[in-house]
Amino acid sequence: MKLKLPAPPIPASLKSPPRRPDEERPSKVEGAKEAGISAVDWVDERTSLSGGVRWMLFRKVPRGTNWAYTLGSATMFAFLNQAMTGVFLAMYYDPSATNAYESARYITNEAFLGEFVRGMHKWGSTVMVVLVFLHMGRTFFWGAYKYPRELNWVVGAVLLVLTMLMSFTGYLLPFDQKSYWATIVGVNINGTGPLVGPYLNDFLLAGPDFGATTLSRFYAIHMLLVPGLIAALIGAHLYLVARLGTTAPPWLKAEKNPELRKESV
Amino acid sequence: MAKDRRKAKSKYTADRSIPGAFEGETVTRRRFMTGTVHASGAIAGAAIALPALGFAIGPVFEKKPVQWEAIGPVDDFGPDEYIPKVFTETYGIGDVGKTTAYVRQHNESIDGPQKDEYDAFVAISTKCMHLGCPVRYSSAAERFICPCHGGVYDFQGKRAGGPPVRPLDRFYTRIRNGQVEVGPRYSVNAELRRFSPRYPGEPIDGIGQYLYPSRPTARKLPNS
Amino acid sequence: MNRQEKEEYLREYSILKSQGKPFFPYAVAKDSIMAVVVMGVIITLSIVLGAELGPKADPTTTTYVPRPEWYFYFLFELLRIIKPNWLVPLATLGIPTICLILLFLLPFFDRGPERRPEKRPIATTLGIFVIAAMAYLTYLGASAGSPNSIELATPASVKQSGGTMLAQFEAGRQVAAQSGCLACHKFGENGNAGPGPPLTDVGRNLPAGAISRTLINPTPPMPSFKDLPKEKFDNLVVFLSQLK
Repeated sequence: MKLKLPAPPIPASLKSPPRRPDEERPSKVEGAKEAGISAVDWVDERTSLSGGVRWMLFRKVPRGTNWAYTLGSATMFAFLNQAMTGVFLAMYYDPSATNAYESARYITNEAFLGEFVRGMHKWGSTVMVVLVFLHMGRTFFWGAYKYPRELNWVVGAVLLVLTMLMSFTGYLLPFDQKSYWATIVGVNINGTGPLVGPYLNDFLLAGPDFGATTLSRFYAIHMLLVPGLIAALIGAHLYLVARLGTTAPPWLKAEKNPELRKESV
Repeated sequence: MAKDRRKAKSKYTADRSIPGAFEGETVTRRRFMTGTVHASGAIAGAAIALPALGFAIGPVFEKKPVQWEAIGPVDDFGPDEYIPKVFTETYGIGDVGKTTAYVRQHNESIDGPQKDEYDAFVAISTKCMHLGCPVRYSSAAERFICPCHGGVYDFQGKRAGGPPVRPLDRFYTRIRNGQVEVGPRYSVNAELRRFSPRYPGEPIDGIGQYLYPSRPTARKLPNS
Repeated sequence: MNRQEKEEYLREYSILKSQGKPFFPYAVAKDSIMAVVVMGVIITLSIVLGAELGPKADPTTTTYVPRPEWYFYFLFELLRIIKPNWLVPLATLGIPTICLILLFLLPFFDRGPERRPEKRPIATTLGIFVIAAMAYLTYLGASAGSPNSIELATPASVKQSGGTMLAQFEAGRQVAAQSGCLACHKFGENGNAGPGPPLTDVGRNLPAGAISRTLINPTPPMPSFKDLPKEKFDNLVVFLSQLK
């Protein structure tokens, strides 16, 4: 038996008009598409985002843009990989001096796909460092840091420093021999700065020696402070790229518009 | 002239084409509101930042208690040979708080006369004073050797070569109930004079002791 | 760049840009393919090389030889080659800080309008020089041997004679590695360059007798090894005299 529910009390103005006899019944796909478009329209009506997105996506990139121009986005992608795998590692990791190694061992040897995810994080950092340097080399040799992109170079240089800071703080977390001694050396390098060095060491180690809260301090810097800064600066970097446009390869000379040439003759 | 021009200026923002001016807004009102924004913003910002900063740098001012640990009977240690001993330097973090020191009896022919009650035994830290790597004592060469950047120290822990900036740090030692006990760490300059503990890589000869101050709460033992 | 050059660049750039293709989907397609390649490399590395976890951190060790991750090797080697101890702050902070400041300020002192690398000889040469220097330091850092072992190949003549000779040679290698010779002498890639002379081929210049006399009665600052047990001492002399 078919149960017929009463129609909801929708005002007549909101009801879609009845289909005309000569009109075709819309297909399922059409209907889904329609629903998607109207949902996007609903959001756009309230945010006016479409203008910005259109500006970002359909701006032109200069003629001659080649594979060397993908190094920046590749670096960002490596960073996203780090962020993603880092979140999953954080679910198992315990940043205490007594348990850190045990939790790293658990991730590596026992957690399902643990070594794979940790490997992605570890090798992702190497790949990211390589890509950062390649990206910087391309920018340097092709003179892409010159007017009007000076500020973007500075933002990029800060991102380089932050990336190195990420590798340095991440180093300690597995808490094996290599981590521990590399961190000791790294921290003591800071200590050789006159006047402020010793205090910087105290701040980093959270005390006079490697202590109970040193690891959690490095952990907080590694997964909250620096990634936040990196994400914000990547946003600024990208905005400037979109605003100023990516450079063309330096060897490329603009051909004068043929019509303009005709005029000048 | 200048005075006249200032007088001629209108007191309304609209007349001075200040951005965002509206009917009837005076310059002083705009100034007052701008000042309010800056002052309250600064207070709110400081209220977030200062406690966080204090919390982060608090450990700098934490005082480390003086603790002594027995490492063996007095007869175990001779004047010519170092014996490595493991003991706890930082409490509460298990094995990670442990450290190794090379210990021997005070040797008058090398070290000169004994300075005080903390000097009957020499306990030398294994942290290289270049950047903190673990040094190893080679008894054949009578040298401490750092595996990282090539630091070498002689029998007394004084620098014999490579980049280290000062002799190896030492620990206070004392004798209680026939046992040798090790206490807090201290640093020494090239003449082996005692200083409050510094980090590796920080010279304390000459002007160094002022360029690289120790923690405000880390002091030498009294009367030492 | 003066104002005219700036305007000229912007005009040139706007023409190149107008002749280009839209970012989406043309540039994004390249970026996405690159992203796939990057992920492929990361996953391959992760599967092939895995994530090795070393022994647990042990602050009490006296035998561990710390080495950094490969991308800090250049810094590690910088710290190794700058020997005078009053230069330590320069090696640890001075040189890296100066390089970093120069890097930050690059667009403010290099303001010429030229962008082609072959037309900017100073910048390009400097860039290549920095990369070459870092690569060389990285190579040196990567090949820096431990000061607790000697990895020199056993000479063919010793291998041929075999028997007692070979046994003594290998035992002497152990003695040399454990007696701190590497603190002041270089054996191949192992050990520190100075203050003592390299001993990679010491047997070529000195006969066994001279070596043993030097070991007992050395010139300071080298310590005397006369207190070594007789057997160890003999093995050490055999080892050194066969290094040719």
